[in-house]
Amino acid sequence: MDRREFLRQISLWSAGITLGVPGFRITGEAVAAERPEAVVSQATGKDYVALVTKVLDPLGGMGKFVRPGDKVVIKPNIGWDRNPEQAANTHPLIVKTLVEQALAAGAGEIKVFDRTCNEERRCYVNSGIKDALDRIKDKKVTYFHPDPRKFIPVDIKRGKAVSRLEIYKDALEADTYINVPIAKHHGLSRLTMGIKNSMGVLGGRRGNMHHDLGQKLADLATVIRPKLTVIDATRILLRNGPQGGDLDDVKVLDTLIASADPVAADAYTTTLFDLIPEDIESTVAAYKMGLGEMNLDAIRIISA
Amino acid sequence: MTGGKKIPHFYWRRLCQIFCFVLFSFLFIKTDYSGADEIAYAVNLLFRIDPLLAATASLAARTFITLMLPALFTLLFTFVLGRFFCGWVCPLGALLDGGHRLVPPVGGKDGVYRNTKYYLLAFLLVAAWFGLPAAGYLDPFSILVRGLTLAVYPAFNALNTTFFTFTYQHGPDWLNSMTEPVYAFLKYTILPFDQKYYDLALLSLFILISVILLERVERRFFCRNLCPLGAMLAVTARFSLLRGIGGSKCGKCRNCREVCRMGAIDEERKISRSDCNLCLDCVAVCPGRKISFAFAGRSEARTPFNLSRRALVSAIGAGVILPFFLKGRSMAVNPDPFLIRPPGALPEDEFLGRCVRCGECMKVCIGNGLQPTFFEAGIEGLFSPKLRGRTGYCEFNCTLCGQVCPTGAIRKLALQEKQRTRIGHAWFDKNRCLPYASGIPCIVCEEHCPTPEKAIKFREAVVLDDNGTEVVLKQPYLVDSLCIGCGICETKCPLPGASAVRVTSAGESRDPDSIIPTTGGTGYLGG
Ligand code: SF4
Ligand code: SF4
Repeated sequence: MDRREFLRQISLWSAGITLGVPGFRITGEAVAAERPEAVVSQATGKDYVALVTKVLDPLGGMGKFVRPGDKVVIKPNIGWDRNPEQAANTHPLIVKTLVEQALAAGAGEIKVFDRTCNEERRCYVNSGIKDALDRIKDKKVTYFHPDPRKFIPVDIKRGKAVSRLEIYKDALEADTYINVPIAKHHGLSRLTMGIKNSMGVLGGRRGNMHHDLGQKLADLATVIRPKLTVIDATRILLRNGPQGGDLDDVKVLDTLIASADPVAADAYTTTLFDLIPEDIESTVAAYKMGLGEMNLDAIRIISA
Repeated sequence: MTGGKKIPHFYWRRLCQIFCFVLFSFLFIKTDYSGADEIAYAVNLLFRIDPLLAATASLAARTFITLMLPALFTLLFTFVLGRFFCGWVCPLGALLDGGHRLVPPVGGKDGVYRNTKYYLLAFLLVAAWFGLPAAGYLDPFSILVRGLTLAVYPAFNALNTTFFTFTYQHGPDWLNSMTEPVYAFLKYTILPFDQKYYDLALLSLFILISVILLERVERRFFCRNLCPLGAMLAVTARFSLLRGIGGSKCGKCRNCREVCRMGAIDEERKISRSDCNLCLDCVAVCPGRKISFAFAGRSEARTPFNLSRRALVSAIGAGVILPFFLKGRSMAVNPDPFLIRPPGALPEDEFLGRCVRCGECMKVCIGNGLQPTFFEAGIEGLFSPKLRGRTGYCEFNCTLCGQVCPTGAIRKLALQEKQRTRIGHAWFDKNRCLPYASGIPCIVCEEHCPTPEKAIKFREAVVLDDNGTEVVLKQPYLVDSLCIGCGICETKCPLPGASAVRVTSAGESRDPDSIIPTTGGTGYLGG
């Protein structure tokens, strides 16, 4: 099934016209055709605004991913009631800069949201993301707390561990989905990066994802396919993730990683923690499903 | 008193009632997280100007609770103006007046129950001193705010959500373009941020509705006969400076008696200072303009109190004796282990004495964790707050409940202090916990544990799963000294039904006897 048909089903479903659950299937050939080049860009610097430009340049800049009039979703990690120093959420300045660049590239509308783990309002405020976005005075930019009515069940036809997930409508409908996780430690999956970050668009009881987490995340990744992944490693959380709280667990790296290939982005980021891509189940599962490249030798890494 | 063109007095009264009700509703809605850690408004104002609650809580605490100082002003004003509070300010009174027309009267003998409120007042005050806190069951604000918090507000939200979900899912686009902005506006203004769920929702609704339905028997039945706050104000109002001066030689006209919502005017058209709530309706209906309100000399004789001595003594006696029955229950030595009090709660006896069952803490709890107790804390603990970890949890960085508690039953804690306050302790039920019982990976609890060094840790173990296959997985365990009992693990545990990790009150900071054994010994042998 192609993307257009899928979207048609979603709009029909959410309008209550059809009871059939939208299904998403990507065939092998489609994957091959859609599969982006395994190029990862990484950049370091203390000026986070400049850093965003720096890391995107080798990939062709924001204009490569956002076309004029696009519906853009920028999905940071706003999961926890923690402040930016504690490195549990994406840095607000990175989020803000990405939004501004998407605006500059002519985005028609930009939505920013996450389904949080702690109380929603506290997460948006304490992460600094609400404040950062409030400073952008442009009607095209909105941020919000997910509306429970807008989670749509989707059949994950290629799913190996899950066959159906409730996914937020706006994430499904975006022309450009930009995933902006923070890289950090996680008890169960060892690290959370791009593929894990997509859990923020899920409705329902997300705890159930934890049984066979890696495969389930890969299943989700067959449907939620970011055009661009920007991984915030400006500070990374080494222990007590995913929410931390202790500044001793935080290491400042001033680094950003960007790629059109979600698997490659995660694979490379893993090395910042002195681990190898094979250590992360979701990376391996996504690679096996053909969603991207995980072999560091096969990935072109550009240090910008 | 009124010149021909002047606006009748009772319009001012109604205006004032509406104003107070709107103000009250505003404060009610604002009893919520506002984007700042500190609550900006005096959202608990209503309870702090309530002299009944100030008196009973202070008696129980055996110290004047300075938080409740504003209540003295209410008494002071009552001394000057009479029982104006009931007629002009009280939101429950306004609700009764407003709803009166919807509840047609059945009529009945007038004034039979009038003294009940005084007996209740005497009982409540004495019982408070001796250790039976019950004012919150009869205090009008407690009844109102609790009913609104636990029942009306959540139902109101559910109603709106259901309606707008229907239009959203089944309505055509043109309809949605109209209804969705309305919904957004309501969410932004009067609807709660999210749907809350409460124990005892129906019981608190039932109590509130009963108060309203009593209007069928008599107008302002609750205020006339039952309200102990009203009784307190009535006692003060006997000495008030402002008072109504009734007519005499009125012939057959009974307009004022008929219109009086408090039954304050007797056959001789004398107006009782204790009962009159200064609604001023009588002034408007008196054809002879014989009724007026004035600051009269205090020489005027007061009608005798007319209380039955026997009933009063019984009420006081009950207040002395009943509390002792509470001491002989098993729960006096073995408190319910699932009774987890909010962070900052005083030791149990003091806590119950001060808690006025207003529900402010449950309203403000952003995690929906605080729930009213039923009988877990005894009959005297009904409606006091407890954390029910399966429904919601105590948010690590939040200190709101201590900020809104009007009596200090929950102390206001600084954030650092709150984060170190143990309200309980979590335990694993390894017979249910997935990595132990079924060989299925999970540790959602570990993920959510909010202490900077997690109180839930895990060990890797090789176990056989249901198919007999060897799997390596992470099994969670608790580090006793780190757990603060916030309950998020219990809330988020993905098992259906009961959680595999449950919080009990063991180890709570407020009770020095509640020590969790450690390998260092319990202290009995080691000294
Ligand atoms: S503990 Fe809660 S219910 Fe009791 S007085 Fe304080 S705020 Fe009101
Ligand atoms: S979340 Fe529940 S089932 Fe899962 S590991 Fe923790 S206690 Fe066990």
